[in-house]
Amino acid sequence: MAVELTGITKRFGAFIANDGIDLAVRRGEIHAIIGENGAGKTTLMNVLFGLLQPDEGSIRLNGETIMVADPAAAIKAGLGMVHQHFKLVPSLSVADNVFLGMEIRRHGLIDHAAQIARTRELSKRFGLHVDPAERVGLLSVGIEQRIEILKVLVRGARTIILDEPTAVLTPQESRELFQTLRSFVAEGMTVIFISHHLEEVMEVSDTVTVLRNGRKVATRPTAELSKDELVRMMVGREVSFDRRPRAQLHGDAVLEVKNLWSRDDRRLPAVRGASFTVRAGEVVGIAGVAGNGQTELAEVLSGLRPASHGEAWLKGQDLTTLSPAAIREAGLAHVPGDRMVRGVDRNASIAANTLMGRQHRAPWSRGGMLDWKAIAGNAGALIKSFDIRAQGSGDPVKRLSGGNIQKVVLAREFTNGADFLLIDQPTRGVDIGAQEAIHDEIMRQRAAGRAILLISVQLDELAALADRILVMFNGRIMGEVAGDDADEDRIGMMMAGVSPELEPAR
Amino acid sequence: MEILDKLVNVALIAATLRTTAPILLVALGGSFTTKAGIFNIGLEGQMLAGAFFAVIGSIWTGSAFAGVACGVAAALAFALAFAVLVVTFRANEVVVGLALNILAGGMTISLMKAIFGTRGSIVGHGIVGLPKVQIPGAQALLGSWAPLISGFTPIVYVAFIAVPLLVLFYNRTRLGLYIRVVGEKPEAAEALGISITRVRYIASLLCGLLAGLAGAHLSLGYITMFTENMSSGRGFMAVAILIFSNGDPLKVLAGCLLFGFADAFSLRLQTFGFPSYLVLTVPYVVALTALFALSYRARPKIIKETLASMQKLLSVDRNSAPVDKNPQ
Repeated sequence: MAVELTGITKRFGAFIANDGIDLAVRRGEIHAIIGENGAGKTTLMNVLFGLLQPDEGSIRLNGETIMVADPAAAIKAGLGMVHQHFKLVPSLSVADNVFLGMEIRRHGLIDHAAQIARTRELSKRFGLHVDPAERVGLLSVGIEQRIEILKVLVRGARTIILDEPTAVLTPQESRELFQTLRSFVAEGMTVIFISHHLEEVMEVSDTVTVLRNGRKVATRPTAELSKDELVRMMVGREVSFDRRPRAQLHGDAVLEVKNLWSRDDRRLPAVRGASFTVRAGEVVGIAGVAGNGQTELAEVLSGLRPASHGEAWLKGQDLTTLSPAAIREAGLAHVPGDRMVRGVDRNASIAANTLMGRQHRAPWSRGGMLDWKAIAGNAGALIKSFDIRAQGSGDPVKRLSGGNIQKVVLAREFTNGADFLLIDQPTRGVDIGAQEAIHDEIMRQRAAGRAILLISVQLDELAALADRILVMFNGRIMGEVAGDDADEDRIGMMMAGVSPELEPAR
Repeated sequence: MEILDKLVNVALIAATLRTTAPILLVALGGSFTTKAGIFNIGLEGQMLAGAFFAVIGSIWTGSAFAGVACGVAAALAFALAFAVLVVTFRANEVVVGLALNILAGGMTISLMKAIFGTRGSIVGHGIVGLPKVQIPGAQALLGSWAPLISGFTPIVYVAFIAVPLLVLFYNRTRLGLYIRVVGEKPEAAEALGISITRVRYIASLLCGLLAGLAGAHLSLGYITMFTENMSSGRGFMAVAILIFSNGDPLKVLAGCLLFGFADAFSLRLQTFGFPSYLVLTVPYVVALTALFALSYRARPKIIKETLASMQKLLSVDRNSAPVDKNPQ
């Protein structure tokens, strides 16, 4: 056994992140650890790597019980960890970053040539293609990850832990990463890899350990498992990927967009003449490959970006003339695409985050003073009704997992009483359980008669939720497909810029 | 043509090198703290303390070099105080830097009064200035161009030799690399077990060392006297150069040469009878204009955003509600 964890328990206050977890990883295998956000995967790996000390339990590496007091001890014992957030120095070369802290020196000076040669050799051997002399600041995220892996290798790791490695990668880069992982195993190394992507786990791992709510559910050979079984173990219940049932509602038009144009940050046209209507009780989906004007469209509708031409009427007011605050007053709720930037203040508490935007209204504010008791009470109720997994409403949002942070945003936006919901990538980086809860909530809002514009790059999400799907390409709306007969081929053609014969581009 | 010859000649270039040296030294000192991620506005005070105590040391010991050592020690004491407050106690860099500058100004004046019973300046009293180094063979080799390499006080040579040494230091030594990492990506340093605190202390003290030398050069090399506030803004000029150069030694050198040249040139102009107050602004105006022009490309965001927002204020929006349409 390369790694054996026995009875690992880790508590944060009253919250039990890991509850008596046993984990055995055989030498020379790719061992996936899968679970929803907040299931305790990262905590467990941080314990193994010495970043956290367990309250109970023991760690054995290669058959020897050891104390992993800090990461230095873990590295010495042959462990290496590639974190979700990279720690590279942009102005230094790839090789300098790889050897940082253990520079090769000659006559007291750093030997750049030797470092570059050694980096090149390692990168060739494991198929981690990088140019060792290039400056890191010029490179893409995918290549940065390769550098982090090289850093781990050069420190002599035999067991490599990767925390959600594919979250930042394109599908192509993910495939390359999997090949690299296989080459590690071929050399007798061991890989532990955290994920919540079923497909990846099925594709690359030999063994899967499933965690749920801080406990281990099972460890099984991947070959014996089906995707359905895996999902059941992760969420503890069945998940439907299918289209949500619905009653047809025919409400009045809430949002009317007429020939809307806008420019992106480079001053190039990003939205080109979009026209559409969203009715009460209807979910209109916007599909498209990321970067085809969806972000800019959402920003124009929420007042964050000026329109260069056209109108967008929300209940009789033209949004393009209003400030973000005035648009919200007019009846917009906005779930932004990047929740960490525009959705929450990560350092503020859940209570404060649920308050933002309505702090001047009763009953939260009385005579110009905030009534924190009322705010916390309301936040507590929202935590319950939106099933936000947290210790309490005073918790800073940054301590929550991605899915729970998104639920905080939804809890605030959906309880605003707005008639128009602008929802941008609601389940990006969110695990399946939370995904389902978020979809349920959106359907509840639809049933309550809200007009919903749902922007997503995930077709299955749109197919499950939307009544109509508009496809954006290069800033234009290429066509419309009814949600009932959403046909992947047809939408795919439009996403690639081919106009459908029946629905001419507007 | 004749006037131009009088204005620009070997003597002017030599004067440029002399006037460049102190600001170059203090800016190179500041490059350590800049690279380590500390905004060190206290250069001025360190330099002034260095200048004052160099004079005191020189009078007490009768040796110019012992004087320089005293000046450096005083600047180091200031640098240490800065590091303790900023690095250990996390005090605001600007507040601490300004406080130490004010302390240096006031302390030198009151000590001058206490020791010499005078205000304004210390002249005579047996101050020993630094000797000028005559490089043997310079005259034979370069003829009339010899003043370009020979006849400066030792600290001038130190200043210019320090430039390539610093380039080597940042690129090829472990400490230099760690200083850069600590400044650019502290979390990377932390993850690798590099002590941010220790690296920043070292950078602050290295800064004090060079700032002290710069001060000693002012009072023992440049001229042999101390006057109130004799650093006269060179420390702040160095800060400006550091912001624009990001502490890169070669860019620091370029900025300082520009300033030094403008300084020497303005002294020249004075002899032609231009009003001296106007002339004295020349180096600052030239240096700032040049640095601004140079940095327009390097730091486009702030400047372009400023221009863009000014443009927006001036232009009439079609809905005449530009405030509501802030793209940010």
